[in-house]
Amino acid sequence: MSVFVIGYYALLLSASCLAAYFNKRSVFLLLFSLTLVSFVVGIVGGAGALKAIAIGAGMLALAAMVSYAFREFLILLASTEMAKELRTAPLTAAFGMFVIFTYAIAGIFAPIIAPYGEAEVISSAFAPADENMLLGADQLGRDMFSRLVYGTRNSVGLALTATCAAFIMGAGAGLLAATKGGWFDQFMGRFADVIMSIPSLIFALLMLSIFGPSMPVIIIAVSIIYAPRVFRLTRAVAGNVVVMDYIEAAKLRGEGTGYLIRREILPNSTAPLIAEFGLEFCFVFLLVAGLSFLGLGIQPPTADWGSMVRENATLISFGEITPLIPAAAIALLTVGVNFVVDWMLHRSSGLKE
Amino acid sequence: MGDILGLVLKRLGLGLVILLIISVIIFFMVELLPGDIAEAVLGQGATEDNLAALREQMGLNKPAIMRYLEWLSGALMFDFGSSIVTQEPVMSVIGERFLNTLFLAAYAAVIAVPFAIILGVIVALLRNSIFDRVANVLTLTSISSPEFFLGYILILYFSVKWGMFPAIANLSEGMTFWELLERTFLPALTLVLVVVAHMMRMTRAAIINLLASPYIEMARLKGVPPWKVIVRHALPNAWAPIINVVALNLAYLITGVVLVEVVFVYPGVGQALVDAVSKRDFPVVQACCLIFAATFILLNLAADVGAILTNPRLRHPK
Repeated sequence: MSVFVIGYYALLLSASCLAAYFNKRSVFLLLFSLTLVSFVVGIVGGAGALKAIAIGAGMLALAAMVSYAFREFLILLASTEMAKELRTAPLTAAFGMFVIFTYAIAGIFAPIIAPYGEAEVISSAFAPADENMLLGADQLGRDMFSRLVYGTRNSVGLALTATCAAFIMGAGAGLLAATKGGWFDQFMGRFADVIMSIPSLIFALLMLSIFGPSMPVIIIAVSIIYAPRVFRLTRAVAGNVVVMDYIEAAKLRGEGTGYLIRREILPNSTAPLIAEFGLEFCFVFLLVAGLSFLGLGIQPPTADWGSMVRENATLISFGEITPLIPAAAIALLTVGVNFVVDWMLHRSSGLKE
Repeated sequence: MGDILGLVLKRLGLGLVILLIISVIIFFMVELLPGDIAEAVLGQGATEDNLAALREQMGLNKPAIMRYLEWLSGALMFDFGSSIVTQEPVMSVIGERFLNTLFLAAYAAVIAVPFAIILGVIVALLRNSIFDRVANVLTLTSISSPEFFLGYILILYFSVKWGMFPAIANLSEGMTFWELLERTFLPALTLVLVVVAHMMRMTRAAIINLLASPYIEMARLKGVPPWKVIVRHALPNAWAPIINVVALNLAYLITGVVLVEVVFVYPGVGQALVDAVSKRDFPVVQACCLIFAATFILLNLAADVGAILTNPRLRHPK
């Protein structure tokens, strides 16, 4: 028994006793089950495993503190209306917003933040990290950190463009179908059914094999694949609004389709549409990352997270985590967006609990 | 019984029609190529003679409709023509690989399905407790990670650091079943992680939806023990959504397998598809796409039929 192990258990047990004393039921449950798990893990894996748990818990606590501080920061900045909403946000949602904020900064100011250019060869291949290079060099000797920062701009930018394109197509068609109805509605519905019954990755691969991997092709292919999903949701949401009396009144007033969509239907269906945008972005981002991981996304030398994972994958067999960093960057952004969407869905729809 | 059969047949017919439309899309998409296949394959430096010879060999001189019908009737008998790059029949390239892919997906499914359903029910019962929230965060994280991220993490720990399982899932002749299971454990585990998260969330949502209905409250109020509420009252109605969840996720498995196969260098259809796409080997791409799409539609159909069979209410649509 080292000092660390004794200290570890002492801290956990005293914290759970404190939680129990102050009647914090859920905190107590969490801490005490962590203690029980640590008993088992400690016996199997020794002090090393306990250290890993301690580091993980420490990082979680750090993330929680950052998100708490960021939420307070946002509440101070926002108007009273917004601040009221923000106060209801759980820590996970605040964490998600923090992640999105960081990525936005990294993407917009990439040339200022990155110490080197994205295609600049500055050292030997796979050089380890030193004071010049925060994360070492990649397979051609380019600075990993700079490429990661530029990757934010390229990968996220591409996914965002594709999502916007899918949204404009899908939501536009959905709103039109809901207001017009009739054969247009029927036809678009069946068309969406057919597209959705082809697996998305397979459909993307088919289109890329025909038109070759280039930015416009990827954007068009991805937006065609995801537009039907947006169409379905918009159609459903707008379909509920269209039957309302005030729409009838507006129609009787003699308003045109454009006015109906812009002034009556859209304002009443924004909440689910915004949440859908977030979800759709996650799907698109993962699909684009998968494509570039397969070597069919943004072509080199442009920095892009998916292809960076693939190019450096050989390092894994030497126990290096460098290739995992861009993959983790992808995962972190999707998790962040998902957390925010989760909160928004809860708020707007009041899911059954 | 008669009306059930009719409904099922109707669903099957609809599936066939969708499959037919998809085959049209897959085939005629290639026709959209600037120029034609022969030009795309031979590239810039092709002479007129070469082009003409290749067109003759691939039958490109016939009208597209004729070629489509030939392709479709071939596909019905698993004959997808021959690869442009290697000249081998496509089926000899993909046939065995398809079995491998099915094996991997089945392996993952056998682990994932019971695990996910049991966890989903538990989490639904403990809803709004701290465990539920932890599970929510964990499953969201797992869903949001790209498959290759999970795959490489597993490789890093299970094979490089701890040396428990092989990192590359290459198959060879004469392996025993246990060896096979050990070789393919890591790719299967990657798939399991993703699918379990999806299935858990969907099962949880389905059960919570049910537990909110009035007849469950009635059962609880008249003093039925909690386990009996679940087993006798909730479960019969939960089968339909659960079967749906399982089938949808199996369909996901079939396609999610592509990235995992590439990470673990597993000899399956996904890998063949990716290779063919980068070599622009159109017959192989078309065949793989059709196989994947057919499996996907079949499993979705199974979901529909399963739901109809377990839920009498769906048999009498309003």
